[in-house]
Amino acid sequence: MARVRTTKNPLVVAAIVLTALAAGSAARGGWSWYEAGHDDSAGYGQTRDDALAAGEQAVQNLNTLDHQKLDQGLDSWEDSTTGDLHQQLVDGRSGFEKQIQEAKTVSTAKVLSGAVTELDDRTGKASVMVALRITVTAPRGKPAVKESRMLGRLTRTSEGWKLSALGQAPVGNTAG
Amino acid sequence: MSTTRHLVNRQRRLATVAAAERTTAPPRRKGRAGEDDQQSVVTPDLEESSDPRDADRTEEEEAGEARGEQPRTMPRPRIRLPVVLCALTVLLGAFAAWSFTAADGLRGDASRRNTALTDIGRTSEVKGQISEAVGAVFSYNYAATVKSEQAARTYLVGKAVQQHKDMLAEVRAQAPKQKLVLTTTVTESGVELLDGDRARLLIFADQSNTRTGKSDETTYAAAMFAVDAVRRGGTWRISAIDTFTQ
Repeated sequence: MARVRTTKNPLVVAAIVLTALAAGSAARGGWSWYEAGHDDSAGYGQTRDDALAAGEQAVQNLNTLDHQKLDQGLDSWEDSTTGDLHQQLVDGRSGFEKQIQEAKTVSTAKVLSGAVTELDDRTGKASVMVALRITVTAPRGKPAVKESRMLGRLTRTSEGWKLSALGQAPVGNTAG
Repeated sequence: MSTTRHLVNRQRRLATVAAAERTTAPPRRKGRAGEDDQQSVVTPDLEESSDPRDADRTEEEEAGEARGEQPRTMPRPRIRLPVVLCALTVLLGAFAAWSFTAADGLRGDASRRNTALTDIGRTSEVKGQISEAVGAVFSYNYAATVKSEQAARTYLVGKAVQQHKDMLAEVRAQAPKQKLVLTTTVTESGVELLDGDRARLLIFADQSNTRTGKSDETTYAAAMFAVDAVRRGGTWRISAIDTFTQ
């Protein structure tokens, strides 16, 4: 009895069920894929990460200078910046050169952590905060290590995000 | 019961065949009836393997008859349909697998999983709550030690509990003697990572340390550290403190 019942149809029925399941999965998968590809926040997230990467690199560049590779270092300062900050660096370049050549210091910086605090995708402006460890090695004495709390403003240019302002977070300005 | 079903099936098949014959080869089917039993022996069907003796006669005949017709006059429903279904299943299954993988790939990449700033509400929520938490747990008043213990219980969880204990050990030890008041104020905070109920924040804070023992003295210190945060029951708590020690 059972034999007859299970003759032709079970395979076909099973195949139909499987096909229907596959069709269902395909539809869900397709929708999921479409949604993932058309997620507005994804582009914004990418912009945030681009800005942070550029910001951290720029902050590191501006805290790195080797008196033996002055031109290279100062070029990278200028490449990392735009706007007022860039102009300041260009204007002050010869002064810096003299200072560093006399001091013969080597500064290296390491980004400990960084975060984007503001991001305007439309106007191309962002703010970053970067925790930095700077090591300054002078010809004599031990290398000086200091930690620095940097706050930077970024502006998007045709060559990517660049620093337009950079400073240390002020300390103890709250009246205590 | 199976007989009924079988009959229905058979009638359907016959109807289809009849319809097909009307358009293609009308006289063929009747002549084949005699070959039915033999035909069934060579049909590579499931029934083949089972013993014909344990089935009752009529069903066997019907089955045979139905089968007999099938290989020649009705190849479509039996052979083509499963093949088409299999092909469809494979194609649809492959598409489903690919699309889920592609969607996961798109979603899974780090910049998408991280909803810092993209999720404005959550970002400001975690910033606000963690700034408050940092201020509370890193403030200490020699005259109100219960308050700081309470803050630790409220805002700290996991690894951060011990880390905080170690960090404040010295302050606790000196506080009564020096009449120490430590006040921590978060001046800047940024969300590095926000992924559901987990977050990591970079904190810049000012610490004022007031000693009112022998002589009044207040010192300011700049602090920077990162905290991991977890969200439990709608509240963000600090789960780890990273002071960037080498």
